[in-house]
Amino acid sequence: MGKHEEALAQELQRKGFSRRDVLRIGLRLGLGAASMGMLLAACGQTVSEPAKDAGGDAAAEPASESIFDITAGDTGAWPKSAVAEPGDKIEISVGHTWDAVFFERQLQFDKLFMQRHPNITVKAENTPWGEYRQKYTAAAAGNAMPDILYTQFSWAQETIRSGLYIALDDYIAKEKDFNLADFTKPSLVSYQYDGKLWGIPYDEGPGNLYYNKELFDAAGEAYPDDSWDLEKLKAVAIKLTKGEGPNKIFGLGELPSPGDSLMAPNYLFPFGAQYLSEPKEDECLINKPDAVTAMEWWEELRTKGAIPSPADLQNVAWPSFQFGKIAMTLQGSWATPPIQAGSKFKWDIAKWPKGPKAHTTFSAGSAYMITRDSKQTDAAWLYMNEYLSTAGQTYMWASTGRGSPSRLSAWPAYLGSKFAPAGAKNVEEAMSQGIGTHDILDQPTGPRVTQAAGPIWDLVVAGQKSVKDALDEIFAAVDPIIAENRK
Amino acid sequence: MTNAQPTPITTPPNRKPKIGGMARKEERSFYLFILPWIIGFLLFDAGAIIASFGISFTNWSALSAPAYVGTLNYSRLIADSVFYKAMGNSLYYGLGSVGLGTIVSFLLALLLNQNVWGMSLFRTIFYLPSVVSGIAVAILWIMILHQDFGLINSFLAWFGIKGPGWLVQPQWAMPSLILMSLWSAGGSMVIYLAGLQSVPTHLYEAAEIDGADTFQKFWTVTVPMMSPVILYNLIVGFIASIQGFVTVYVMTNGGPANATLVYGLYIYRTAFINFQMGYASALAWVLLVVIILITVVQFTVARYWVYYEGDLKS
Repeated sequence: MGKHEEALAQELQRKGFSRRDVLRIGLRLGLGAASMGMLLAACGQTVSEPAKDAGGDAAAEPASESIFDITAGDTGAWPKSAVAEPGDKIEISVGHTWDAVFFERQLQFDKLFMQRHPNITVKAENTPWGEYRQKYTAAAAGNAMPDILYTQFSWAQETIRSGLYIALDDYIAKEKDFNLADFTKPSLVSYQYDGKLWGIPYDEGPGNLYYNKELFDAAGEAYPDDSWDLEKLKAVAIKLTKGEGPNKIFGLGELPSPGDSLMAPNYLFPFGAQYLSEPKEDECLINKPDAVTAMEWWEELRTKGAIPSPADLQNVAWPSFQFGKIAMTLQGSWATPPIQAGSKFKWDIAKWPKGPKAHTTFSAGSAYMITRDSKQTDAAWLYMNEYLSTAGQTYMWASTGRGSPSRLSAWPAYLGSKFAPAGAKNVEEAMSQGIGTHDILDQPTGPRVTQAAGPIWDLVVAGQKSVKDALDEIFAAVDPIIAENRK
Repeated sequence: MTNAQPTPITTPPNRKPKIGGMARKEERSFYLFILPWIIGFLLFDAGAIIASFGISFTNWSALSAPAYVGTLNYSRLIADSVFYKAMGNSLYYGLGSVGLGTIVSFLLALLLNQNVWGMSLFRTIFYLPSVVSGIAVAILWIMILHQDFGLINSFLAWFGIKGPGWLVQPQWAMPSLILMSLWSAGGSMVIYLAGLQSVPTHLYEAAEIDGADTFQKFWTVTVPMMSPVILYNLIVGFIASIQGFVTVYVMTNGGPANATLVYGLYIYRTAFINFQMGYASALAWVLLVVIILITVVQFTVARYWVYYEGDLKS
């Protein structure tokens, strides 16, 4: 157990904190899945911890702080790059934003990489999520970015167009086995601009329907499957909603909001409606009749009390599914580790159901890019080529249960790992069957659009504005913002 | 014997009067003591402040080179409805929290200025909340203000009153934050307490001799003698509250419906979410001007109600 988790666990035990308090404290501290598991285990709870590989390494190395065995997931099939190894010792820096537990896995990868490339020293910079953008915005202004930088889809286009990165096409062209076709189509979208590729994604996950099997069992309802459509989802959500007050069970965890950049594929496309025109996002379509009808259709769930209100959501830390009060929730596949660690009930994943006009769900992810400030671009490419190879994605995200690797070839490792839920195949199928779509708000105007739209929609949630009026107002607010996309 | 008048000793105009060795030593000590702050300000703040003024005339994302745009950011600000919303929210919060905070902390100080057993303990208890960190306080108050299970609504329910959704209803969100700001009344209370203890007792004795009752003593002695302290707290409190950010960021993130979108949060979003450093700098400079104007007004109006010992009022 990590020494920090152990100390916290002892303190919580001494004070007699309940399981609920431990979970809440851990979530507020931003602890990762494995840390949460350790905490709950120490406080007398039973948590399924990832089993160690059989025949673990008996060498006399000091015990790593990571919960993962350093050799687990290492297939040894690391790509041989056409780029030459550096002749002298050099250092490259990589900007990450992992939780404390997963950062230990990162350090394991870096250690093995440095063993394979003795002339390259990797300096990993890990910054908490809430500070990441400020830190590297300042670094960019000061021309002091690390060699390689993590970038999320939501700010990828803005930073690409500002010239923060170098294009990777030349490096990719040199490699005989890089294989861009191995990446799921949606995963590359946010990192392409002007005919070039500026980043390599490490993950791309669809929105999935996570469901609480025990609530379904209690209601005598069959689990979601491929036959489900959105009408069925709505009916079951209403049926599973019961009770009042702190013990109320909600059928569905959330409803669409124009303040959410991921909204359209799940809540509008299935009805033939759109938020902004894709991919250029230069026309606002949210107040068209089909969009108004779709949003009103969803709002019926709120009037039936099947969705937690903002006040209800105050009661629990986000995400609230693992507290057992929500029967179904739409979450990206990256939510699987915390749900796995925090849920005390049986659950699984299904595909987001189809609508009358289309079967779509959002897909989104993140990537790594080589920055313009890098003085060691060749060494940075050597690192990226291995980090984001099939072997790298298997090591980092498939074998550890993080899930949703951007490479199709890494998926079998995830599906076969001890961390994958029973319904993990649905996640893979959502990506390979084209259900997952990257038609989300990822242009530089995206944040301003959602900042303008969200507060207006809050009034609908508060019952102070009709759907139609709110969408008309959103159109008026958003249209001037996206005018720059028409240039 | 002559009737010659003694020649008055005058200092020539525009010449500092000569000061003795002790005064010179004190002056040196003064500059030495403020030197660390001045160095820190020059090294870490002054450059950034001057730079931000220049940046406010550019279109700059911080990710690429700035482009000069003249006063475009300032003219954009005039037409920006969110600017007015954020400024209005900040002024609302400032007036509410400072006004209410002044009354509450002054009354607390009056109470804690009594000579009763355990007074040190009471003073400590009232002061402690103001030293608790901002984020811990924010999380605590999210629970206190919860619509269904929070302390406040549970208390109101005893009297048959259904409490509002404090942080989730647009019309109640800002009053919730103002109410929450009273949590740190202990900080001002300590300053008022110090002021109360320096009010000369002979003034109260003189008032008693003149037949003043408790309220009259409070209104004609305590308040005028405390007026400089009140002015100080009003100015400093307002400047701090109009720049508030952490609490709002943690508790409501400007919602619901921008009801708690304060100016500081708007600047943060503009700079670090929207990558518009030039516009954010313009917003910051406008805030500075607004604060200066309000402070000037406060000082101007202070002439009519602030009394310094020794002043003669006409």
